[in-house]
Amino acid sequence: MNGVIRSFLRYLVRRKSLSVLQLLGIAFGVAAAVGMTLASRSALQSLGSAVDFLRGGTTHTIARPAGPMEEGLLARVMGDPAVKYFAPVIDRKVRLEGGEQVRMLGVDPFLDKDVRTLTARIAASTRNNTQEEAFSSFLFDPGAVLIDENVARSLNLSPGSTFNTMQGPLRVVHIFPNPSGEPLIIIDIGHAQEFFRMRGYVDRADLVVTDEDAFRGRWATGFTIESNTQKAQTLSALLGAFRLNLQALSLFALFVGVFLIYNTAMFAVVSRRRDAGILLAIGASRGQVTAAFLVEVLLLGVAGGALGGVLGYLLSGFLVKIVGNTISTLYFFLKPSVLPWSFWNLAGGVFLGCAASIVGALPSLLELRRVQPVEVLRGRIASRGASRRMKTIALSGLVCLAAALTLFGLSFLNVYIGFAGAFAFLLGASLFAGFVIILLVPVMKRLFSRAMGLAGKIAIGNIRENLGRTSVAVAAFMITLSMSIGLGSMIDSFRQSLLWWMNSQLRGELYVSTKADVNVPEEFYEELKRMSGIGGIDVFRNVPITFRGKPASITSIDASVLQRYDRFGWLEGGDENWEPVKQGGAIVSESFSRRFNVKRGDRITIETASGPADLSVGAVFYDYASEHGVIMMDRSTYLKLFGDRTINSLGIFIDEGNPDRAKIIDQVKLRARALGLPFATREEFHKRILDIFDNTFAVTRSMRVLAIIVAFFGIAGALMTLFVERQKEFGIYRALGFSTGDVARMTIAESLGLGLVSFLMSTVVGTVFAVILIKVINLQSFNWTIFYHFTARPYLVTALTTLTASLAACAYPLWSVIRKYPVMQIREE
Amino acid sequence: MGPSIIRTYDLWKQYEDEGRGGMALRGIDLEITKGQIIALFGKSGSGKTTLLNLIAGLDGPTKGRIEIDGEDLAVLGERGRTLLRRKKLGFVFQFFNLLPTLTALENVLLSLELAGAADRRPALEALALVGLSGKEGRFPHELSGGEQQRVAIARALVKSPPIILADEPTGNLDSVTGTQVLDLLVRRCREAGATLMMVSHALNTCEYADRILRMSDGRIFEESSCEGLAP
Amino acid sequence: MKTRHDLFPPFFALVILTLLCTVLIPLGLSAQDWKTALTPRQWSFPHDHGSHGEYRTEWWYFTGNLTDNEGKRYGYQLTFFRYGLAEQAKIPANPWSVRDIYLAHFALTDASNGTFHFRDRASRKGPGFAGAGKDAMDVHVLNWSAVMKDGKIDLNAARDGMELSLCLVPAKPLVLHGRQGLSKKGPGPGQASYYYSFTDLRTRGTLKTPGMKNPVSVRGMSWFDQEFGSNQLSPGQEGWDWFALHLGDGRDLMVYYLRKKDGTIEKESSGTLAEPDGTSRHLTISDMETTVLAHWKSTRTAGRYPAGWRIRIPTAGIDVTIRPLVADQELVNTVSTGITYWEGAVDGKGTSKGKEVAVEGYVELTGYAGTLGGVF
Repeated sequence: MNGVIRSFLRYLVRRKSLSVLQLLGIAFGVAAAVGMTLASRSALQSLGSAVDFLRGGTTHTIARPAGPMEEGLLARVMGDPAVKYFAPVIDRKVRLEGGEQVRMLGVDPFLDKDVRTLTARIAASTRNNTQEEAFSSFLFDPGAVLIDENVARSLNLSPGSTFNTMQGPLRVVHIFPNPSGEPLIIIDIGHAQEFFRMRGYVDRADLVVTDEDAFRGRWATGFTIESNTQKAQTLSALLGAFRLNLQALSLFALFVGVFLIYNTAMFAVVSRRRDAGILLAIGASRGQVTAAFLVEVLLLGVAGGALGGVLGYLLSGFLVKIVGNTISTLYFFLKPSVLPWSFWNLAGGVFLGCAASIVGALPSLLELRRVQPVEVLRGRIASRGASRRMKTIALSGLVCLAAALTLFGLSFLNVYIGFAGAFAFLLGASLFAGFVIILLVPVMKRLFSRAMGLAGKIAIGNIRENLGRTSVAVAAFMITLSMSIGLGSMIDSFRQSLLWWMNSQLRGELYVSTKADVNVPEEFYEELKRMSGIGGIDVFRNVPITFRGKPASITSIDASVLQRYDRFGWLEGGDENWEPVKQGGAIVSESFSRRFNVKRGDRITIETASGPADLSVGAVFYDYASEHGVIMMDRSTYLKLFGDRTINSLGIFIDEGNPDRAKIIDQVKLRARALGLPFATREEFHKRILDIFDNTFAVTRSMRVLAIIVAFFGIAGALMTLFVERQKEFGIYRALGFSTGDVARMTIAESLGLGLVSFLMSTVVGTVFAVILIKVINLQSFNWTIFYHFTARPYLVTALTTLTASLAACAYPLWSVIRKYPVMQIREE
Repeated sequence: MGPSIIRTYDLWKQYEDEGRGGMALRGIDLEITKGQIIALFGKSGSGKTTLLNLIAGLDGPTKGRIEIDGEDLAVLGERGRTLLRRKKLGFVFQFFNLLPTLTALENVLLSLELAGAADRRPALEALALVGLSGKEGRFPHELSGGEQQRVAIARALVKSPPIILADEPTGNLDSVTGTQVLDLLVRRCREAGATLMMVSHALNTCEYADRILRMSDGRIFEESSCEGLAP
Repeated sequence: MKTRHDLFPPFFALVILTLLCTVLIPLGLSAQDWKTALTPRQWSFPHDHGSHGEYRTEWWYFTGNLTDNEGKRYGYQLTFFRYGLAEQAKIPANPWSVRDIYLAHFALTDASNGTFHFRDRASRKGPGFAGAGKDAMDVHVLNWSAVMKDGKIDLNAARDGMELSLCLVPAKPLVLHGRQGLSKKGPGPGQASYYYSFTDLRTRGTLKTPGMKNPVSVRGMSWFDQEFGSNQLSPGQEGWDWFALHLGDGRDLMVYYLRKKDGTIEKESSGTLAEPDGTSRHLTISDMETTVLAHWKSTRTAGRYPAGWRIRIPTAGIDVTIRPLVADQELVNTVSTGITYWEGAVDGKGTSKGKEVAVEGYVELTGYAGTLGGVF
């Protein structure tokens, strides 16, 4: 091996603990990015395979624009000359006793076998007794279901066992293999109608169509016909914002990772400066020195990247569960399985590790190329002029911030521009680290000397003296802390906005059945209407639709009741906005308004059971129920347009002063229970929504933890380098009469000092970052306004994190000090 | 007088980032002939090291010209100067400046390797000549200061360069060791016929020098003896 | 390899259902719950062309020999089965609630290129998916149907490039088989079904095989059987050979043999001869003499089928030799029943009352193919 390279690589062995820290730093950075990417890929791939699995050979589906389809239409579909195969489907969810929702498909095994293999195993005439019995049971027993292996595993079920759902018990007659991750329950379509109380209706028919144009022509009015391609597009649009969110998190993870590697490379370069000087003096070219340094960085990059690839894969196993949970709560049940281990995880990790190492090491390399052996060899470290350099760097930080502002201005074009802006902002902010240290040092010196005496003062001095190293450490630590504060504040603000929204829109005393549960029989609604004491009943119905090729939904409510009892948050105007709704108009949610650029006073055309209908938009309201947008109309309008009498849930309102309030509620509960309808009080309902919300941000929260871990390695690496670099100074301190305790205090003070600067900076940067997330990223990807709301929690959590990380980071140096200091001598290397 | 090996013409050097607009060198004209042993005295900050670095081509002058062995450093370019350092220059520093991660032998070998002839035999010989037989495998931190400086001398001399530049070679050693090292360095240079330029504070350096130079405020003065040269 | 299913013979009603026998057991339904064919029936048409839900199995069976304008010859088979799974649907108000399963088989033979095409379907009644009218012939399984209106029967079926659209007009009055339509299938009481036929249906319409670009006009002669009963089959019967032949002099001959597992022929095997004037006579096993002249072995199922016969009815002066139009007319059912049988168009010649006659018709052979092991 080349002597130059060898002289550099020997460091890796000599400073094992530091090398290990650097390696772990890179590994965790890469792991974060790989883990997040894999998790989101797994989830989306599982979704894809679930869709493919269920689609089978279907080419199109036909359904009513909103609500279920009358079963009488099926014979017409069957007779259509373009329809080669058709299979009616009831596609619903059941809520298990544990609260999980599982997709339940009602199918006709005779017809379904033409389009997919779900029931083929038991429905093919078979000469196997158990399967014949299974089939017979499936056809004749109301609660007989087939379940897939996922459900069987998670509920520990086998053929013959029974399990409970909110809608009633089900009995397993057969378990089928399911290559997709989506848990499935299959029931005979006739039983499904009874189970979901929808006799006479199906949700849709899956078709194999030969002549699409002719078919569409015959079913143009009153039906929604979706081809597979359209369906896939709708689905991907449905998950669009969520996927974006995952991508953003992966990018953030990568950003933190690169920063850490930059940090690592920076330390390496500092400790190689003198060697570089020597080498240059004895005749090595700058190219050789650069190459040697690159080899060292790449070696760390390869090893750290490979380790990161493996760790990332392991991490993805954990993240994928969280992602799956979130998708399940928000969109449709999905239990994504982790992608199988592939060589590419390793290769990707190595690539990422190397690429990030090179990007991260670039500034250091440039610095190395500028090394003046003269200065270095005279023993002067380049702290001279550091403050001026920090100002220059801060200036380039300003340029970055300006770029960020420009990008935010353009973010309406594409949400990725918003992301780019967010990164530019973080990068820009990080460039201020050195400058901020210089600014804060005088104050901190006073603070630390008061608290820890001379040791504290010297420690802060050390931070100032080693600005080249400390500024990078602070920058990296600060960025992760800022992300923590930013994400935390964003989540808290969102939560607060959600609370406000629930308190304004969901003010009913009691909710009978909620969106995804059992439908409410109309008779029950009529019965409640006759009950005295109830102030008003809101009849809620929500159906997904496709509007201008994108998913959205229609909600029907009772406008008069809501006008009287709810306090909707309007973008413009007040409760008089209800008047046109009562007259057959519509209102739209903010997300709908932004997504489709529909403003108050515009007219929208929606596809109904009797062809297109024109509605005027009377107002826009704040809403966090769906990022895809909601068109809200009175039930009378909805019935006229769609003829769908289904009721998803009822909101019971009782006048404030009614003395019989509690009694009335109990009575309603009693009636609901008798009919097997689930209900929730306002508090319970709100809590359930908040639970969903919290679940949604589980991924984000775990990314926060990851960022903190990465940050820990950053600051630990910085401290370790400082410590290793300055070991010889300890001899001098000892000679001057510093005790072991003094030096230990000094080490702690350095760590705390770095932590303090980082934290102080992150309170500002993090807050701005939160605002960016709220006003730019969220608005762009979800199309809804979140109101910034200050909460102390993210700051306290971050402060605690800082303290913990700072103390943990100085553990090793401290241990070293205590062990080695008593025998330290003044000596030269 | 033999042929000149080092020549400088009106050499000026200003450090820009010094902030105080310090002029390190103010028009140095110097001619050094082959085989001469030079002692360069001067107070801290007088410009000695700057001059040394300019001669080594490690830094460029603000104004003026340097010729080493008849070649203009500015004309040589970075690559040429690197080659020059490899073949024609040996360095000995005050702080020894051995690569801490390499053994004594490897440090010496590195010098040869850069010069294009990584041969262990001359490296071992060079270490033997500075009295370090048996300590070839030690790392710098396992050697005393004097021993480290011997390694540095071996490293400088092993490639038989015509010029050795020494920056306070004894500045970091006790006087006994310092004398030993100085003795060794001068003796080895004389044997090899190398030109030795020593920057020093130590007055005993004078005894070994053929020529004594003094620097003050970026200017250079020829001295006949060490008298009146306060460290 | 034979299984218990191969024991059931006639009109492979049984075909129908393998599944069903066992399906019934868990439901606690026994044979006693269904009406059986015990005594001769008081027939009433067109009412009796409809469905007889009180009997467990019932089928409407069309076969025919057709010719297009170029003289190319075709055979078709379109069969509808009803199989009762329960006497009463659990939720009568919900059409999805299962009482009967309807099955249909559709086959086309193209003698000009020796091809044979076959599809089968199954469905419950559902909201208009399948069913059989009570008071007239109006049976359909998905979009395959047979409807009798004003004395004419319309047949329609289409699937995967196969199309059939025919109008059938009886040229002779219907024929009641056995004793007043009570057709014995075994020695015991109840081992019988009600069985009648239109033996001579003038047929016109169009058909299309998957190889054709457009449907072709065809005309010819069809045969229709309707049969219903419950548990008419006895174990120990291995299979069934059924012949329905049109003789050139206007006589129509139906003969069936029930083959027992021990290699003997069931004594109740019988036949019917319909004269051109519409009169008919019952043939007992002693009236019929049949010799197998050739065999064909299926490469698909390894079933070895008879493939040529000499049938003599000495008491009626009939001596004919017939052969399949296409050797491979084997039906391998996957969707509906899972039973494999051979049902194909045949032709031949011979003498009837001393005169040379041409013969065409259909033959059905069950119980010759082994099980399709893995398929089930």
